[in-house]
Amino acid sequence: MSSSRVGRLLFGSCRLFGAGLLAVLAAVLVLGGGLALAQQTVVIGMLGPLSGDYATYGTSVANGVELAINEANASGNYSYRFVLQKEDTRGDQVQALNAMNKLIELDRVTAIVGAVLSGETLTAGPIAQDAGVPMITPSATAPAVSEIGDYEFRNVITDDVQAAQMAEYAINSLGLRRFAILHANNDYGVALRRAFEAGVQANGGQVVAVESYLDGDSNFSAQLTNIARQNPEALYIGGYYTEAAKIAQQAALQGLNVRLMGADGFDSPELISLGGAAVEGALFTSGFYNATEDPLAAEFVRKYEAAYGMKPDMFAANAYDSARIILEAIQAVGPNRAAVRDWIANVQDFPGVTGVTTFADNGDAVKPLYILRVENGQFTQER
Amino acid sequence: MIDWLDGVLRGFINPYYYGILVTIGINIILALSLNLVTGFTGQLHLGHAAFMAIGAYTAGLLSTKAGFGFAGAVIVAGLVAAVAGVIVGLPTLRLRGDYLAIATLGFGEIVRITLLNLDITGGPFGLRGIPRQTNLPIVILAVLFSFLVLRSLVNSRMGRALIAIREDEVAAQTMGIDTTRLKVTSFTVAAFFAGIAGALFAYWFRYLNPSSFGFMVSIELLAMVVFGGLGNLLGSVLGAGVMTYLPEFLRTVAPAIAERRLVFYGALLVIVMILRPNGLLGTSSEQGWLEIWLARRRSQGAAGRVGSGPGAGSEAPPATGGAGHGPA
Repeated sequence: MSSSRVGRLLFGSCRLFGAGLLAVLAAVLVLGGGLALAQQTVVIGMLGPLSGDYATYGTSVANGVELAINEANASGNYSYRFVLQKEDTRGDQVQALNAMNKLIELDRVTAIVGAVLSGETLTAGPIAQDAGVPMITPSATAPAVSEIGDYEFRNVITDDVQAAQMAEYAINSLGLRRFAILHANNDYGVALRRAFEAGVQANGGQVVAVESYLDGDSNFSAQLTNIARQNPEALYIGGYYTEAAKIAQQAALQGLNVRLMGADGFDSPELISLGGAAVEGALFTSGFYNATEDPLAAEFVRKYEAAYGMKPDMFAANAYDSARIILEAIQAVGPNRAAVRDWIANVQDFPGVTGVTTFADNGDAVKPLYILRVENGQFTQER
Repeated sequence: MIDWLDGVLRGFINPYYYGILVTIGINIILALSLNLVTGFTGQLHLGHAAFMAIGAYTAGLLSTKAGFGFAGAVIVAGLVAAVAGVIVGLPTLRLRGDYLAIATLGFGEIVRITLLNLDITGGPFGLRGIPRQTNLPIVILAVLFSFLVLRSLVNSRMGRALIAIREDEVAAQTMGIDTTRLKVTSFTVAAFFAGIAGALFAYWFRYLNPSSFGFMVSIELLAMVVFGGLGNLLGSVLGAGVMTYLPEFLRTVAPAIAERRLVFYGALLVIVMILRPNGLLGTSSEQGWLEIWLARRRSQGAAGRVGSGPGAGSEAPPATGGAGHGPA
């Protein structure tokens, strides 16, 4: 008796729910159909961590892509209507693979901005390569990314280039000679360490100490004591802003008087709010400077702030440029994956908000690199 | 034969769903093997992802550096993981409860950090260039193989002994069961299958990174086993299937809530634990709200039939727990 009543109740509500779902589906189909009549719809994919530990990176990338697509649709200069399909990876390999399969097989995207992290790019990239879907990562800096294949592009300055340019600048422009390196024991930190060490040696400097830490460490006194013993002039930190801020404070407590240096992992207002006076004077390389006077970039910063209520970071800027390159390609050659790939590969001096961009033969972007300095609690442009 | 079958399957399954099915299959093997240790033997094991990592990296290295073929690499990966199971199991399985949980958790971290610091595994850069040779028919075969082996194991004399250990270790020992030897054996068998699953993972994803085998993966596997039901093999199949497909289901069916899908994931677990604390198909006698409610309805129905009118039955105070429906 009672169980059959429960059954009826359950089935009844299921039927109601089903009817509602059908109505919504019908509405979506009618609406979608109406728009498709006016203009051909082209789907652009975005792949990255929208939830979880790395959600800030993924969200910045999603915002950058969305801004570019909204602008393009509003401008009336394009013969297609672009639709953004975002997929969350949680920063996880399994999710990244499934999300990539979905973008390609269910959403039928023409091109993809992503993935955001290096690990997920190395998992999802080969899928796009095999399916022949062009993909521009705005942020994956691991060296192996450029070996995925000819459909994978990278619109971010690699760790190698950043570390090499910082070493060159520190030695030739600042006249520093003795360097210590403290790096995170992850792909980012190790790549920076290798390239910085090589860069220092190539320019006639000397690396006197190399120490490492694990992600999430908060006490660096042992490493800093070892570094202090070697009496370096500068400390290159290969890691992210959270650890960099703590390292700076603990170095100051130990009385270690060195010039702090780093790469784009420093590029967050959090560096200053966490590090305070200890990070004053720190130098780092970055692909984007959001207080720049360059008119194109300033305009982007203004529009981004109006749309999302905060200043864009490097992730958002690279994603915005990557999406614009894809949109230009589709406008030029139509929504054909192979033709879009060829167009992107032949991009010459694309005027991006992160600087004039060209893709090298291995798919990596060649573009200018900023060196920024912390001064009075603000980032200023050093070079 | 397998290639032909794969061609047929690929003919009518969209590659997106094909990929999800492969992932589900790999997770089923992992959940089944973890269930042997945690569900049947009653040993809380929080480092199962480490055995998967050992299998995955063994297969990856054998294939990229030693030129092994697929079948050979998968089997060796299972064996290497099994050896690791013996080495880890011998000292840690003398511990009980919380202490064992902490020891296995530590083991999981040791494996991950080791993979992060070895040069041969590519360290933090990971291991690339593994060919894609896992396919759905192979995964289905592996799932069937693990299920059948584990089923005959838990239904054997040894399986009964394992369950005896779970129910009361001291009593089992008194009955003449060599508890340490059996616990290590169950751990080793579980490690072997986790190693196989790891190898299939390596040949499917083509790229391995230590961060794919972290603590959260072990916890997710445990959640699959608990969700499906401790001590029930079909439960693990169901648990792995549901928990692997749920995020993808939300991704395709309800994209608006997809970004908050972790909330649903958690809520589902909480609801199941409240309604059925022993999991969907679990075998323990613990009662959740669902059983208590059903028992109450049943005893109310009985009371209504016996009493003078329907009103009298529904206003009668409900009988508590299982006491009411015994005589009915």
